[in-house]
Amino acid sequence: MRIATDIGGTFTDLVWQDEQSGAVGNTKVPTTPHDFGAAVVSAIRQSGQEAQGTGFLVHGTTLVINALTERKGVRTGLITTRGFRDVLEIGRANRPDIYNMTYVKPTPFVPRRLRLEVTERLNFRGEILQPLLREDVARAAETLLAESVEAIAVCFLHSYINPQHELECGRILEEHAPDLPVTLSHQVTREWREFERSNSAVLNSYVMPIVARYLNSLELDLNDMGIPSSSLHVMQSNGGSASFAAGRQLPVNLVESGPVAGVIGAARIGEMIGEPNVISLDVGGTTAKCSLVLDGAPRITSDYKIEHDRRSAGYPILVPTVDIVEIGAGGGSIAHVDESGALRVGPQSAGADPGPACQGVGDQPTLTDANLVAGRINPDYFLGGRIPLSVARARQALQPIAAHFGLDIAETALGIIRIADANMINALKLVSVRRGHDPRDFVLLPFGGGGALHGAALMRELQTRKVIIPEQPGVFSAWGMLMSDLRRDDIRTRITRVGETATAELDETFADMSVGVHEELRAEGVAAADMRSERHADMRYLGQEHTVKVPLPEGSIDATAVDELLERFHQVHEQAYTFRLDTPVELVNYHVTAFGLVPAPAIGRVCSDGLTLAGAGKGQRDVYFDDPEPLQADILERDLLPVDETLTGPAVIEEPTATILVFPGQRAWRDRFGFIHIQGEE
Amino acid sequence: MAHDPFTLTIIQEQLQAAADESFVRLGRASKSPIIYEVLDYACALLTPQAELIAEAQGVPGFTGVLPVAVESILEKFGADGMHEGDIFATNDPYSGGGTHLSDVCLVGPVIVDGELVAFAANKGHWTEMGGMAPGSWTTDATEIYQEGLQLPAVRVYDAGEPVQDIIDLLAANVRLPDMTLSDLYAGVAAIRVAEARICALCERHGVDALRASIDTLLQQGELVARSALAALPKGSWEAQDFMDDDGFSDEKIPVRVRITVTDEEFIADFTGSSPQRPGPVNGTWARLQSSARVMFKSITAPEYPNNGGCFRPVKVICPPGTIFTAQRPAPVSTYWEAGATAIDLLWQALWPIASERLSAGHFLSICGTNLSGTFDDGELFVLTEPQAGGWGAAPARDGQNGLVAQGNGETRNIPVEVCESRYPLLVEQYALDITAHGAGRWRGGRGMVRDYRLTGPAGHITTTYGRHRIPPWGADGGNPGSPNSAAVIRADSTKPEVKRGKLARYPLCRGDLVRIITGSGGGRGNPLERPLEALQEDLRSGLVTPQQAIEDYGLRLDPDTFELLEIMPERREFAKYLNLES
Repeated sequence: MRIATDIGGTFTDLVWQDEQSGAVGNTKVPTTPHDFGAAVVSAIRQSGQEAQGTGFLVHGTTLVINALTERKGVRTGLITTRGFRDVLEIGRANRPDIYNMTYVKPTPFVPRRLRLEVTERLNFRGEILQPLLREDVARAAETLLAESVEAIAVCFLHSYINPQHELECGRILEEHAPDLPVTLSHQVTREWREFERSNSAVLNSYVMPIVARYLNSLELDLNDMGIPSSSLHVMQSNGGSASFAAGRQLPVNLVESGPVAGVIGAARIGEMIGEPNVISLDVGGTTAKCSLVLDGAPRITSDYKIEHDRRSAGYPILVPTVDIVEIGAGGGSIAHVDESGALRVGPQSAGADPGPACQGVGDQPTLTDANLVAGRINPDYFLGGRIPLSVARARQALQPIAAHFGLDIAETALGIIRIADANMINALKLVSVRRGHDPRDFVLLPFGGGGALHGAALMRELQTRKVIIPEQPGVFSAWGMLMSDLRRDDIRTRITRVGETATAELDETFADMSVGVHEELRAEGVAAADMRSERHADMRYLGQEHTVKVPLPEGSIDATAVDELLERFHQVHEQAYTFRLDTPVELVNYHVTAFGLVPAPAIGRVCSDGLTLAGAGKGQRDVYFDDPEPLQADILERDLLPVDETLTGPAVIEEPTATILVFPGQRAWRDRFGFIHIQGEE
Repeated sequence: MAHDPFTLTIIQEQLQAAADESFVRLGRASKSPIIYEVLDYACALLTPQAELIAEAQGVPGFTGVLPVAVESILEKFGADGMHEGDIFATNDPYSGGGTHLSDVCLVGPVIVDGELVAFAANKGHWTEMGGMAPGSWTTDATEIYQEGLQLPAVRVYDAGEPVQDIIDLLAANVRLPDMTLSDLYAGVAAIRVAEARICALCERHGVDALRASIDTLLQQGELVARSALAALPKGSWEAQDFMDDDGFSDEKIPVRVRITVTDEEFIADFTGSSPQRPGPVNGTWARLQSSARVMFKSITAPEYPNNGGCFRPVKVICPPGTIFTAQRPAPVSTYWEAGATAIDLLWQALWPIASERLSAGHFLSICGTNLSGTFDDGELFVLTEPQAGGWGAAPARDGQNGLVAQGNGETRNIPVEVCESRYPLLVEQYALDITAHGAGRWRGGRGMVRDYRLTGPAGHITTTYGRHRIPPWGADGGNPGSPNSAAVIRADSTKPEVKRGKLARYPLCRGDLVRIITGSGGGRGNPLERPLEALQEDLRSGLVTPQQAIEDYGLRLDPDTFELLEIMPERREFAKYLNLES
């Protein structure tokens, strides 16, 4: 048995798969905010599956991001190189909200009085200029204990190249404050930039005790159900899983635990159907998140920040994270007329509470209300009919906007949908066109509660080749987790001029790092036969700041391999920035990734013997597509569709947790895995 | 043909997205730190009449300046004289370029089916444009001919092909031709991407829909500006101040503004400000106009995207030949000093009507610092960076510590680890500067101290720091902040040999230390009203010294336990007075 559980704001999803039969199932239970683990346990119970002896359980949790954004972590102290305790507060000193004359910087997670300095100094080569003064560390430990901190972070200058002083400091802290969890910055990341690294170490310490308590307690509960500790994993921001032990040590790796899983799922589906280039789109209640999978691999970045937007500098976390662009466009996004008289949708959201007007509590017009008014959503089949929707309430909510523009309700609903689509298009372009990728080389994979409703329109506008709607789009993130492998990343900053002379340095550094990450996986119980690794180099032209990530050729690195690497770099650079240069090339970061392959069970084939398109039909209804005149659209039940039989829009394919729209002239069919494909007119 | 309102909105969003994409493209393609780190550049789309449609910029100083560049190109070449694929360049400070020679504007007409539908333009601080000093700015130039190569509105791409003669001329006149040319190519790439997006919009929706969309966009911008104007009180407000000096004499430079708000206009009149000066602190007309736009926007609708309509009510008056409107051949390479001064003047004048949207005076100068020299092997290095400093107290909040100046935006400091890897320098501290300034009911934010020790054999330091003599202003009874300065401490000494605001290529030897100190911001409200608890926290955090607590705040606190030992007489008197008042 394999189990994935994904804790969301409203629901905790569970997807299980029986490895023998290939059967897949899911359960949704309400999230239990005061004890997240309780929902996990109850979801497993409700699934009706025998948990005993589960071989692989992976857990995605919002615990870390919530503790950070709600400031529910512990009182944390920071120890720095003498002269640099204010680095955490100064940050990069940027002022993104440029017209705001009262801009407020993000407040550091450690106040000045808990930031202490010790004498020590390395230079940029990692050579010791001043040895670490033990007494300073001992004194700092005393002060922090007296201040009753519950965790400590340490960040020394240039520790990314030589961690010796940080390690020594860690040992002294262990002697003087044995009960306090400590994060040494180089353990979180071996990349340069002291502010970003300090902040990452601080955030890690800030949530360590909380995550430890949570995972410990969950582990005991799961052990009680007969699931051994060796089977327990957490989903990391890098799109791979790690043991509970690793999660406790580096919880800051779990910040994007939930959202990345959908991207992993998208990559997996792409692989199954022979489409290595996928744009994933997760449309939830409040936001839409998109990401790009190229040649089967999600894009990973360590330029990641929380609470960062056009108005705020945010807090950087220098750990590998699947690159996701998130915008305020979801089913609950509120439509409103702005100060200039133009229609906007989002980023404000009615969320789950009060929710869209049609659900009976709220009265603000939302995207869901517009979809309902347009006939796209079936009012009697929302969540399989469990929640009846009121078309009358939705129309009433849209009325003021219709009056403002002097349009009828249907035109208004279509306007709201088009604006929301345009917002999503802009986000999709951010991850594709703006990075030099042509959407025509990709398929679009929408999921989440609202993805399937908008996918076909977005495909048409963006000109992706196809839309693929996975099974159970509402619990797709959990399904993606189920498909994840163990993953370890090691990224190290070491500036290397790439040319004939650097061959040995490249080869040795990559080899060393490779040994390290494989060792870590071995410690997690992965057999050598199940390990696979990837090597990348973050490279740039001499003088540039930004790098591009370039995959390394296989094998040891000799002169030929370096030539190949350089050529790949020029190509990747040209794709991203339109030009190549005849200047020296620098390697900035070495990046090694090791995967512990978890044998992915085969996905069961759909058996559709005896099913016909006619049999899947549930009649027709008026649906507004592009024009303010409704069309009679065929309504079909997804699970009753025969495999590989093509239907032509206008049509609506319904299932309990999602609605799939097929525009006039578009063709759609269900494939042998159960995925719905939609393509434009021929 | 009528277009539905939603299509128009969607086109507008895509125009903004095209400007944003152009901005990202330029930044990522550039090899110049001043562009990719400091974001000292802007990208815009404009109408065929040179009105701003959308812009994206990293620093506020380029707000609404590109229309001036496009006007100058239109004037010289005319719409008929432009072809598909052409790109024009100008950096003339007194006309189209609008700032200093380092800021080069590139303008590309977007032509669809033989018809001019828009302009794509950008303006960036190119790292090297030649002239007497590396980096093309210094504090001792006396005429523009010393400040670099002038591009007086010339064609650099002809129907898609580079004009090689111009490019050769450019390369021959700059110190780092490779870098300067890549700035050019990055700008060209940004224009090409904007062009492609506009063409795609025309193909999808038609040229008519594009025009209708742009028209409504500008109308909406004007509507927003006019309704914000209506909400402002009507009347006139004045401010006067001084700039420190021009680098040649110690004479302070008087400046003044009178703001008049009417039902129709927001008028900023700088008449009466000093004539232009011999040193390069002079500003230019386009930048002055931009300053007024920035302040108008900041106190009205800071979140609304910029377009030509937003600035229709803003009117700037200033005779030619002043410190803000220099004429050829006045040097202007550190024009940002005059630009920042204009902003700060407007800021002070607006205080009575908009203090809830403003902080008290801040360190103001971007504190341009240029540290150059050689490595042991003789290779050259140039470190150019802006500094962070203290901001004034905001409404009901202490000022921000260590934040870039108003003239900067998404501008980041250089990490110590990056700096030491790239230059022969050791950064010995990067800390908040705890001075006895900026006291108030709400405190001014702290400036910074950053120490560079030269580990290479030799170097030079050039700085241009305004507010070195005249500190940031306090408000509503708050104390002024502290001044900006750069000091040189020789290897064998602990005392500064020199401590100034402006240094021009001051020589350094191995082991010498450059100490950069930026100002604390001004306080707000009487310091005697600052609550005891806030002051205790200040002492605990080491942000205020026990001595300053006594002198400015009238409280004697135990330096170890922070307990109250004594309320000084002036604080008691003040409390009595407040009680009587209430």
